[in-house]
Amino acid sequence: MTSFLQERFRRYYRDAAIPAPRRFARREYGFVFFDQAGMTRHKGFRQHDELLELLRERAPAHVYHSSAYYETPDASTMQEKGWMGADLIFDLDADHLPGAEDMRYEEMLEAVKQELKKLVSFLTDDFGFTDQDLSLYFSGGRGYHCHVVHPEVLPLESQARREIVDYITGRGLDLDAMLREKTIARRGRMTQTALEIAPPDTPGWQGKISRDIVDFFRELQDMDHGEAMKLLTSFDGVGEKTATGIIEDVTDERIERIRRGKIDQSSFIKKVMPQLVKRCAVELRGEPDEPVTGDVKRLIRQPGSLHGKTGLRVTSLPLDGIDDFDPLRDAVVFDDTVIEVELQHPVEISMMAQRFSLEKGAVEIPEYLAVLLAGRGIADV
Amino acid sequence: MDVTQLARYPFLDEARQLVKEENVRTGEILHDPIYERARALGRQRVNDAIRDGVVGDYPAASETDALMNIFSYPIARIIVASVSSGYATGRYALSEAKRAYEHLQHESEELLMAIADEHGLEVGDDMAIYFTDYLEHAPTWSDSWKLVNMPLSRGWISLQKRQLARLLQNAIQDAIYHEVRQMEPPSEVRHVFEDEVTRLRTLMEERQMQREADMGEVTVAKLPPCIRQLLAAAQSGVNVPHVGRFTLVSFLHAVGMDTDDIVALFGGSPDFSRGKTRYQIEHITGKVSGTEYTPPSCSSIKSWGLCPVEKMDAICKRVKHPLGYYRIKSRARRNDD
Repeated sequence: MTSFLQERFRRYYRDAAIPAPRRFARREYGFVFFDQAGMTRHKGFRQHDELLELLRERAPAHVYHSSAYYETPDASTMQEKGWMGADLIFDLDADHLPGAEDMRYEEMLEAVKQELKKLVSFLTDDFGFTDQDLSLYFSGGRGYHCHVVHPEVLPLESQARREIVDYITGRGLDLDAMLREKTIARRGRMTQTALEIAPPDTPGWQGKISRDIVDFFRELQDMDHGEAMKLLTSFDGVGEKTATGIIEDVTDERIERIRRGKIDQSSFIKKVMPQLVKRCAVELRGEPDEPVTGDVKRLIRQPGSLHGKTGLRVTSLPLDGIDDFDPLRDAVVFDDTVIEVELQHPVEISMMAQRFSLEKGAVEIPEYLAVLLAGRGIADV
Repeated sequence: MDVTQLARYPFLDEARQLVKEENVRTGEILHDPIYERARALGRQRVNDAIRDGVVGDYPAASETDALMNIFSYPIARIIVASVSSGYATGRYALSEAKRAYEHLQHESEELLMAIADEHGLEVGDDMAIYFTDYLEHAPTWSDSWKLVNMPLSRGWISLQKRQLARLLQNAIQDAIYHEVRQMEPPSEVRHVFEDEVTRLRTLMEERQMQREADMGEVTVAKLPPCIRQLLAAAQSGVNVPHVGRFTLVSFLHAVGMDTDDIVALFGGSPDFSRGKTRYQIEHITGKVSGTEYTPPSCSSIKSWGLCPVEKMDAICKRVKHPLGYYRIKSRARRNDD
């Protein structure tokens, strides 16, 4: 089976267009070969052609380059390498998504794609990066990568990069600060307080949460009674009475007040706020893998190379083309020559806009699917 | 700026310029009775900083006092540079920067912007700074300073005056630290301040020995390279990132050090605050939080960039957890006895 995959990979690398990463000669390269255990790393190349030649000759299962730039990329210790800076990398992987284990491959990829859109919105709206600074790639496996190349992020240390991930994942977010109890009147011993949230146009997480709260109430208004009750009673400590109270109290006028930051008048709405804030934070947070971004000497997949476990290409996608991108069409490099394989268990998958429902045992399938299933260890050729 | 105000910020170019324009030769500053007051103040600056971690507000009401105050700053730097200790320099730089912070909070926005500019920090409209500058200078190990809690918009964070002043404190500290570490004071200086320098050096050595004694049963020799490096950083005045503190404290707790001894170890950290340190430690060791954290594994330490790969030894390669390293070393030592 290995020889089948390697032979197909070799055919691909014969004339594949593999882009040279920026500052090509400053990067470290790493490979996993079909016929060799472990990873071969600490490789450096002076010329792009040298890399292409290696790919043609050895047709590796996996190809990586460092996110970092080094003075001596092929030195074997970090000290000798001489770290000069690193691109900022984000890794979105299906492994981190709740419920991913029950999804089919294409569903998983679709779910991660939604995460990618969320990540891009953090990077552009909050961090101010432009499409010039961001490169997006389908990983060839179970997710997407985003590379940020910008002079100000190059020298950032691990700790600073983790702060950036924490911003996106909402880790350490001060939820108590989202709701402010303000004293509005005092009569003798009695004080009257009002609950406030930040105006929706507040920068950072405060505004995000406020906008999401307003959206929540708008959506609630549009729901039919049963649906709204079901949603509200799913909150901890919210029973029928509170839920009914909230539904009655959510009027246009009140949503308008909430939009101005004022959560007053309705004790039912007040009661649900702390939980709603928490729920919004969970909904809004991104899911990039923290160790990947924090690691300033990570090896990442070489764009244009093939993923050894799928035969899919690490494929670039434009910022404004995320929705249109279909990895099981756009990252496919093999053709539809019919191949006979032996499946170890039944397979359900959509690929190249075609639906496959395959039984266990001997089947004839297009080469692109044979490569994918062989790579994942489901098919024997 | 008038000299009285300038005396609060003797590290600024303007102060440096003023000293230069006075056209005094080094010999005069070091020997002339006129500058005796400046020399005395210079000694005091260093002593206050290194002993107590603060630089006071020395008299600067009259112009002469203010001038002597300003002159004492380069003298203090020369003394610290002659002590030639990273720990002493760190503590001195922090003390000077902290004093500046106390004053900066009450200064005009214009002055803050000018000082930011001098330290290479670009400040935009609404006192906004770019997030990478923020990450370089903000104490993000404290929850309220985490980036996630800041009003970040299109890469910029609009700050309040007090916040900008705190970032400037850090920038000033960095600048003083690096300048003093790079200074090579003339031997004549060492001669004039010989007593001071010798005394401070002895003090540094004593503190070092004290710290080692405080470790008690936990001997440095048994510590894995990553923990040793974190410990050295915490003690020498380098700011240790949050995950580093966490790793260090949870490890030392796991090998049986008690809270008091751990607090004492952090005494060398430049922004050491006994109460806060104790709270953080008790949080990690479970006294406050109810969760007793176990120290992170080698793979976590590596992914946080805290594993000094070049210092890895044969034992490191055998273990997956820093505690494993410690156990092997402890066993080896017992066998030696």
